[in-house]
Amino acid sequence: MQAPILEIVGLKKSYKDNAVLRGIDLKIFPGQLVCVIGPSGSGKSTMLRCCNRLEEPTGGQVVVDGVHITNADTNLNKVRQGIGMVFQQFNLYPHLTVLGNVTLALRKVEGLPKFEAQERGRKALEKVGLMDKEVAFPEQLSGGQQQRVGIARAIALNPKVMLFDEPTSALDPELVGSVLNVMRQLGKSGITMLVVTHEMAFARAAADHVVFMDGGVIVEEGPPSQIFDSPTHERTRAFVSRYTQGH
Amino acid sequence: MSSASGFDQFIHTFFNVEIALLYLPEIASGAGVTILLSLAVVVTGLALGLALAVLRSLQAKPLNFFIVIYADVLRALPPLVVIIIFFFAFPFIGLSMSAFTATWLSLSLVLGAYAEESIWGAIVALPAGQTEAARSTGLSWWKTMLYVVLPQAFRMALPPLTNRVISITKNTALGSVVALGEILNKAQSASSNSGNPTPLILGAAMYLLIFLPVVIAARWLETRSSRAV
Amino acid sequence: MDALLQNFFNFAVFRDVFPSLLRGLWTTIWLSLLVIPIGLVSGLVLALIATQARNRWLRIGIAIYVDFFRAFPPLVLLILIYFGSPFLGLEIPKLMAVAIGFMLNNSSYFSEVFRAGIEAVPKGQMEAARSTGLSKLQALTFVIVPQATRNVLPDLVGNCIEVVKLTTIASVVALPELLRAARDAQSLVYNPSPIVLAAALYLVLLWPAVRLLSRLEHRGRAVR
Repeated sequence: MQAPILEIVGLKKSYKDNAVLRGIDLKIFPGQLVCVIGPSGSGKSTMLRCCNRLEEPTGGQVVVDGVHITNADTNLNKVRQGIGMVFQQFNLYPHLTVLGNVTLALRKVEGLPKFEAQERGRKALEKVGLMDKEVAFPEQLSGGQQQRVGIARAIALNPKVMLFDEPTSALDPELVGSVLNVMRQLGKSGITMLVVTHEMAFARAAADHVVFMDGGVIVEEGPPSQIFDSPTHERTRAFVSRYTQGH
Repeated sequence: MSSASGFDQFIHTFFNVEIALLYLPEIASGAGVTILLSLAVVVTGLALGLALAVLRSLQAKPLNFFIVIYADVLRALPPLVVIIIFFFAFPFIGLSMSAFTATWLSLSLVLGAYAEESIWGAIVALPAGQTEAARSTGLSWWKTMLYVVLPQAFRMALPPLTNRVISITKNTALGSVVALGEILNKAQSASSNSGNPTPLILGAAMYLLIFLPVVIAARWLETRSSRAV
Repeated sequence: MDALLQNFFNFAVFRDVFPSLLRGLWTTIWLSLLVIPIGLVSGLVLALIATQARNRWLRIGIAIYVDFFRAFPPLVLLILIYFGSPFLGLEIPKLMAVAIGFMLNNSSYFSEVFRAGIEAVPKGQMEAARSTGLSKLQALTFVIVPQATRNVLPDLVGNCIEVVKLTTIASVVALPELLRAARDAQSLVYNPSPIVLAAALYLVLLWPAVRLLSRLEHRGRAVR
């Protein structure tokens, strides 16, 4: 049995007296594409953001490739090089070109010389199909293209695990497909991915493992066939049926 | 005889209560001039700027040319130079004026220039749809200006304008250079008369008393309007 | 009309005083080149501390400093420093008094400008930068501050213009900048033409900047 690449143990997060995460236990194995689904307010994004400590957990632990990143004395910057994040609002740097966006961390964090950084950056852009846009500025690109640049920026660092925070929620419907395709290809290429999403069709078709969250806990997890076709819990059934009926 | 302690001497020099009380009435009268002048400048400056911005909306080319020249020149010239010109140069062509008039005139013209630019910029930034809607309901050009355009333009121009008003009113201190009896002038003469810098400190405190509330109010106004947006 | 030409635009006087005014202009220019960078850098540092510091008292302290020097007329500050320092037993040379006064005044204005610019950068930018492993300092340097500067470029330029105009207050402590040179010349020739000439020189120096400022302001608005 392989060791998990990302392990969440008893994760808790509260804001004042509002408990958003009430104890999450999750294991993610190398190469898996795991989708997290659930209603708004279930704590999905918060859990994801705890995995690279953009949110600070109030309890529990997160272990990435054997490193307890929730420890106070971890070198957070170093750890984050191994965790890639893709944001709902893309968060591209508007004052840098596409290639500049992708290579910034390579040059400043990994300390690569410009030429090497650009080569790595170009490879990442190739994976998302945007090699011809390297000198463009973010404002010149469509939403879908911007998000793909966001993906390239994250994978350029060769992270051990990729976190996706509702990557297509801010996109116009016709642009969603291009991003999901890139994500599917990444999944096939063996990158470990933890994806918070509302795209049920994607979760069903591409995920190896699906996690259903509600009210700050994991209600049920399992292969897509279980979650979508024969869920064990009533809440899972209620949530999933809302989506499968409409589509 | 004050004690030998350095701190006591410091207080005796810079915060001498006797001297402060002695010159307080004089410096307070200076404060009156500062406040009066500031209010006068704000009223005339803003009125001038508003009038010019409205004139500019008439889109009359020759008029616009002069308005733009005026705005550029009065924003490029240091205010002190304008005051010196009015007070020291104009008498040579037969136009003498008091220090108060020279300072008020200069600062009003400068504020007017900045106010015109801010308000005009806001008028231009207002979406065309606003005037289209108003005119389509039959409002005249003038009424549209008065009830639709200017209220919105003024609100938009308020943040940069409040900052500008603060700087200009602080410039009333420049009046001391032409011997206007405002705070700095009174404080300086009191200081040299008594051979002690306490009046200067008193004057500074007076300025802070007047302007700190304005600065804080401006900051509060700025956060309130940015939240509303 | 004749009186106007004779008194304000007297070419003979212009010719005579031009060299000394030019020297004054030069002083104005290098004084500006001295105090503007100091104001910019200290303003940026203050703004960074004000927006990034976790310590609440530090942030409050900076807000107090900034409001204090925004409320304090620069001329009064200069007079206080220059004429008050002998009483402290310090002989501060004119230039230093001017430099100190300007630094205290400018740093507070520039810090307000930079602060607004930094706060206008979306929070997601810092998150994205940190998520790729950049340290806070690196994120500020390469992602936040460039964007903040772009956001407030018109205000920065406007403030720089104000600083150049502010150099005229140094004339009050007899620093030989342009206005002082003009006033000295005026009392010598008993004719106000030197002041008109000085005004013209200020226009030559600052009008292009004012035009640039207008262009920047309108461009900024168009994008928004």
